Amino acid sequence: MYFEINKKNVYASTGGKAFTKDQPLVLFIHGSGLDHTFWGLHSRFFAFRNYSVLCLDTPGHTNSDGPALNSIEEMGDWVNDVITHLDAKQISIVGHSQGCLVGMEYASRYPEKIKSVSFITSGYETPVNSFLLDAAENNPEIAVNKMISWGFGKAGHMFQGTIPGNSMLIGGYKTMYKNPLHTDLHACNNYKGGKKAASSITAPCQLILAGKDLMAPRKSGMALADALPQTRELHVIDDCGHMLPLESPNECRNLLKNFIFSNNPTG
Amino acid sequence: MADFLSFDTLSLHAGQTLDKEFGSRAQPIHQTTSYVFPDTDTASSLFNLERGGHVYNRISNPTISVLEQRVAALEGGSASVCVSSGMSAVFCALTAIVSQGDHIVASANMYGGNISLLKNTLPRFGITTTFVDPTDLKSLESAIQENTKIVFGELIGNPGLSIMDIEGAAKICKKNHLPLMIDGTFNTPYLCRCFEHGANIIVHSLTKWMGGHGTSIGGVVVDGGNFDWGLNNNFPTLTEAYAPFTGINFWEEFGPSAFATRIRAEAMRDIGPSMSPMNAFLLLQGIETLSLRMDKHLSNTKAFLEYLSNHEQVSWVNHPDLPDHDSHEMAKKYMPRGAGSIITFGVKGGRDAGKAFIENVKLASHLANVGDAKTLIIHPATTTHSRIDAEALIAAGITEDMVRISVGIEDVSDIQDDFNKGFRAAKKFC
Repeated sequence: MYFEINKKNVYASTGGKAFTKDQPLVLFIHGSGLDHTFWGLHSRFFAFRNYSVLCLDTPGHTNSDGPALNSIEEMGDWVNDVITHLDAKQISIVGHSQGCLVGMEYASRYPEKIKSVSFITSGYETPVNSFLLDAAENNPEIAVNKMISWGFGKAGHMFQGTIPGNSMLIGGYKTMYKNPLHTDLHACNNYKGGKKAASSITAPCQLILAGKDLMAPRKSGMALADALPQTRELHVIDDCGHMLPLESPNECRNLLKNFIFSNNPTG
Repeated sequence: MADFLSFDTLSLHAGQTLDKEFGSRAQPIHQTTSYVFPDTDTASSLFNLERGGHVYNRISNPTISVLEQRVAALEGGSASVCVSSGMSAVFCALTAIVSQGDHIVASANMYGGNISLLKNTLPRFGITTTFVDPTDLKSLESAIQENTKIVFGELIGNPGLSIMDIEGAAKICKKNHLPLMIDGTFNTPYLCRCFEHGANIIVHSLTKWMGGHGTSIGGVVVDGGNFDWGLNNNFPTLTEAYAPFTGINFWEEFGPSAFATRIRAEAMRDIGPSMSPMNAFLLLQGIETLSLRMDKHLSNTKAFLEYLSNHEQVSWVNHPDLPDHDSHEMAKKYMPRGAGSIITFGVKGGRDAGKAFIENVKLASHLANVGDAKTLIIHPATTTHSRIDAEALIAAGITEDMVRISVGIEDVSDIQDDFNKGFRAAKKFC
């Protein structure tokens, strides 16, 4: 669906069911250079179980008007603008990578409506090396190649996957190539408020890490686990890379389901 | 270290997940109609496209999926769907986009089955086609109408062997916001990866060089994931709610694999042109050696071009690798390794000489196929293209004396000896 925020068109897919503000909301926030299609193996599941679903295209990504936002803090505010505009209540946030940082900012600064937060493959900071930053600005093809190559584990590189006939690797490449990767990576690299934000989240938190993650290594994920309130859940899916929701969708969906169903029930 | 696995490695491994129970190295053949659901929630999730997996063989199958994912990997596509034949692939791809009242622009130099589908079958459903010379980009552009939905051609036209300027056609398609579909059967991704030149959809008859052994009929549609179906309202089958799946919007939910998903959700379910798992297995075996076979096809083709070009009973030889071929520059541009292993030539003495030639070669097989490891020959005007009219024959570049060879991978000297016998028999008609 499309709506306007700050006089700019915003797109969010809704999992095949119309958004309604009166149902609990599962809010999916994508990672750097990605978009709403990243959540296709998760969004319909919740939408057809009495949740409203929003898989956002953040500004400048795929169907949403640009420009892309320059900082994670701005993105957190923008998510709040979306939630306020749509008058959503009882929110479960699901973030991937950069989307986790945005989720941290939003959940820590606007805690009132948050029922649960799920972080997938992230630390509380995401430093980006200068080679990748430079490539994203000056040679996007190389940057996207590296992001996709490092982002996917064995299943992606071997063109395996649960959706018959689909190549998540090439699908990911096509999506990332058209989106403002450079701005996203800069925003991630410059974000320094994650530890404080993570520790101040009051809603129940879930952290899902990938054992073979080259982009947000397990060590940084464990640091995020330490920063989160003691009540957090921690899961590690071993044979999987950074693009965990695509590479291990069934395991990921089951973990999200159990956590969201218990912390943000539909009644 | 390379970012991604290379072509030969993907030809052997892409798509296969080793089975955890038995460790079978070869891809197992899942010869089953259906799949036991572990619980009702999983069952309903599968039916509602909430998760990936298999429900019923008409829609998908684990062995076939490995083949689909392997072809997608080799072509650089975001998704693919395997079907029962190359013609099924063309039909399913076109009808995922076109509806009654829509229009197609297509190359006139294509396989007779493609021409017949566009000229005879689809008009019965209100879908019309304008045929154009694929080497004439101006005529291609001027054929585009307000209701045109797709441009379709073969990279190497069959059997005229003209080469379509994909980049030029893609530029025109982009300007008019139309997808460009290429039948890549004669080139295979080893010779040309058409997505890299601007194609949006690729179809193959896997029966030919991809399978390569003349054992199995099969086809595939590959989605390039590089066309913006939502830019305007011209592609409602992909951008509007699809009632049979609770109003799903393929473009919104599946993005770069929207087109392939529509084919699986609609054509595979409602029309049912499914591939057999056994065929998928055999085609996978063929793809494992694709590059090795293609290199041998090409080296034999080179030797054959020299042999035929210097033969006194040959009136003409047609192959894009020949410097005097109209498409030679295009061939060098798009297929630097070589422009495939189909050669057409004229036997001096006309139709009767051609007939005598074909009846007196013994090692080369006289049959209606191409792309086998074995050398094949046929007379197109009386067989593969016999159902199209005289005007279309001329447009497709087919003459009465034309013999088509699909050069195999035998020892080339043995095939040349065999051809010598054919030419001796044809000599009495000269």
